[in-house]
Amino acid sequence: MGEITVYHYLFLGLALFVIGIAGSVISKHVIKVLISIEFILTGVNINFITFATYCDIPKLDGYIMALFYVAIGAVELAVALYIFYLMYSKKQSENIEKYGDL
Amino acid sequence: MNGIENPVVFYPAAVVMILCGILTIYLKNIMHAILSAVVVFFLAGMFFYVLGSEYNAIIQIAIYGVAVPVILGVAVMFTNLKKISTDEKRTKSSFLKYLIFLTGGIFILAIIYLLMTSFVILPDSFTYAVPAETNSYEVMNSFASGIFTRYVWAFELVSLILTIIAVALTMFKRKERS
Amino acid sequence: MADLILDNIYLVLLLPLWLFLIIMLGRFFSVYVNKGVIYVLTLFSSLAGALLCGSALWKLDSGRILENEIPFLRIEDFVINIGIHADRAALIFALVLFLVSFAVQMFSISYMKDEKKSYRFYALLNLFNFSMAGLLFSPNLFQTYFFWELVSVISYLLIGFEYNKKEKSDSSRKVFIINRIGDTALISGIILSSYFLYSYSGNVNFTSLSFVDMNAISTILYAYAPTGLYLVICGLFIVAAAVKSAQFPFYTWLQDAMEAKLPVSALLHSATMVAAGVFILLRLLPFFTLAGVTLKIIVLIGLITAIICSICASSQNHPKKVLAYSTSAQLGLMFLAAGMLNIKAAVAFFAAHAFIKTLLFITLPDKEECWNYFSFILFLLGGLSLSGMFIAGMAAKEMIYLNLNPVVSVIFCIIAFLTAFYITRIALVTSHEYGLIKTMPDKIKTTAYILLIIMNIGLYWYLRTHVEYKVAEPFWAALTAWIVVYILYTKKAFWKVPVLYPLSYNGFYLDKFYSNTVVKLYDGFCSILNSLEVKVFSNYKPVIFCSKSLVKITGWIEKNIIEASVRMITITFKKISRLDMKAQSGNVQSYNAYAFIIVTLILSCLIIAYIIMLSYIGG
Repeated sequence: MGEITVYHYLFLGLALFVIGIAGSVISKHVIKVLISIEFILTGVNINFITFATYCDIPKLDGYIMALFYVAIGAVELAVALYIFYLMYSKKQSENIEKYGDL
Repeated sequence: MNGIENPVVFYPAAVVMILCGILTIYLKNIMHAILSAVVVFFLAGMFFYVLGSEYNAIIQIAIYGVAVPVILGVAVMFTNLKKISTDEKRTKSSFLKYLIFLTGGIFILAIIYLLMTSFVILPDSFTYAVPAETNSYEVMNSFASGIFTRYVWAFELVSLILTIIAVALTMFKRKERS
Repeated sequence: MADLILDNIYLVLLLPLWLFLIIMLGRFFSVYVNKGVIYVLTLFSSLAGALLCGSALWKLDSGRILENEIPFLRIEDFVINIGIHADRAALIFALVLFLVSFAVQMFSISYMKDEKKSYRFYALLNLFNFSMAGLLFSPNLFQTYFFWELVSVISYLLIGFEYNKKEKSDSSRKVFIINRIGDTALISGIILSSYFLYSYSGNVNFTSLSFVDMNAISTILYAYAPTGLYLVICGLFIVAAAVKSAQFPFYTWLQDAMEAKLPVSALLHSATMVAAGVFILLRLLPFFTLAGVTLKIIVLIGLITAIICSICASSQNHPKKVLAYSTSAQLGLMFLAAGMLNIKAAVAFFAAHAFIKTLLFITLPDKEECWNYFSFILFLLGGLSLSGMFIAGMAAKEMIYLNLNPVVSVIFCIIAFLTAFYITRIALVTSHEYGLIKTMPDKIKTTAYILLIIMNIGLYWYLRTHVEYKVAEPFWAALTAWIVVYILYTKKAFWKVPVLYPLSYNGFYLDKFYSNTVVKLYDGFCSILNSLEVKVFSNYKPVIFCSKSLVKITGWIEKNIIEASVRMITITFKKISRLDMKAQSGNVQSYNAYAFIIVTLILSCLIIAYIIMLSYIGG
């Protein structure tokens, strides 16, 4: 175990991203899908902050980007939860496969 | 040894984080899934701190570590918890599943390739930042001034989006009631 | 000098606009739906505007001008500015505007209480205030033109407020179209003068036509432009003012505007719409003073309008029509005063006329009700004042009468006689027709009446202490008219003068002239063009041959090339959509998966392309 380099952090972000993608495709529960999407955002955030720390001279672009990602993610979650509420009161189920009727 | 390069901090936390992420997907009980997701978010906040941006760490922990799980928990509360175990399973087309795993592998390979080559093809003038003054007062200071100078339009845009969402949700609610 | 009121005079403009926005948007978001809130806010905006204007008038020295312009549009070195320009004339006009609209809005609370869409009415009233105040405070002719158009648009909306009734929407459309003549004249004058200044004067600052430089601009134009061009520019401005103020050849639109509701008429006839013409005349006086002919034309227009409209008003039976004609006549007197360069008299008479005309309009009976005594007496008092025998009207009219030459003064006396004649006659006739009852109007209406009377008396008091005038012949002419009318009325002896009666009853046939001659000429022109096309072009052999062969060629092309390719495209898309339909399961997660797969494909394609490129470069 040597020192931790940039790549370790980047691979950590990648792992979280892939877990999020897999979760959002595999899981049946709507809430789980939402959590997986938040995982994706968190993975991206880790990448942003790593690059900002290691490569950015003023060290601010990545930080600010991550900050805005958190804000946008919260907004997206609010909208998604409202849609979930509407769909749940309509279907009486939280299984995402039942929501898919066009 | 600096915190950012310390394997004793990094490896256990990373392993716990990835395990909890996988657990979140595989746990049947939704409450347990949310709890393990909270662990992931907290660890992400810790990594932000280690990487030198305590402001992002605070925001991450406050929003994803505390606020979002509470909202999700409330959303779960009004669903019927008992029905989960009796949920019938529908078989998904296995073709799609295989395709996804295949492309997932390709994706990971592609990203790894990109990461490994990205530092090789850097321009000559590029210099690595000196990771010395992390978690200092100056980061916070430049954060505060940056929001009001260089990033002011992005900041306003995000606040506009937040406002629009808030108004839109209240509008939907009002329409639904009437 | 920092001054709280003078620095913030633009609030006068912004308050009504803000109210318009919050009433309309509030309706959209279902807040501010409470009627009481709308009433209070609207009244507040007018009152605040009046107070601001009044205190600014108090503080502003007579020679000083508050001027602030910023560039709005810049085309190379040609600049159009926007901003604010407040001098005493604009402040007086704005003060009268806001006072009158305060009273009218108070009146309309009671008048419009059964109306369903009254929020729209109040929003439009606020927008009307905004556009009129913007016109008064505009610093250059371009901004004036903008608000000029806005005023006519809003008057169109307000006159056609009940747009589902056909005659109302028709008359509003007519008003709008006739006003269009004036708008066209104004913009033509602006463009002509601005273009000339841009081409020939060295100073580019003058092309923005700012009112501050109006003296210099008119001098340059007079000195360098050919006389014909200068007269054309002046004539265009006079036409614009005459159309807006319902002067001689164009006064017919004001009679159509009487289809509007009472508060709207009261606003339209007193301080808002028709005042714009007089105001722009006063603003452009430097133009006219250089060429004496134009001043004479203005005086002539004013006199002709005054006398013709007074004669017309003497025979009408509908009170609103009489008031409409009398508005044209009184505005003619304002034109006369402006043409005589008697600016103080013109402004004073404008204020007096605005207060009196509003009082007259809102005391009229409406909706087939009986006329109550209180309103009737107030109407008579207003009539006394309008005919120049009582408080404000008397003072202002005598101010105009000062220093007139003998011929004009005789005509002026005749006009005063006729004014007194028709206003008394219509009061008596209407009271006979509707009947008088002894009920009081409700509290809000009474408050509005009392406010207007206070304004009248206040104006009279101001004129008495600040301006000199003397009671002269018009007073006695009007007195004679009142006595004559009373005697005729008691003996029921209104006879119809053979030639004059039909002429005046039909408004000197001007309206019919327009509808019969102008409209028919236009129709004839259209039918000539039509017959030209049908008879000449369709029988001309080469044209027919050419068009037929062209049709054949295009037909062949369409059948063999375009149709085939279209069919091919449709078949392809059908097949693709069949394929795609299988993917459209409606499952969110499969969409997610597809998106992921496609992104990965693109990414890997890019990477492979990149690797190939690298190998080429490296090799």
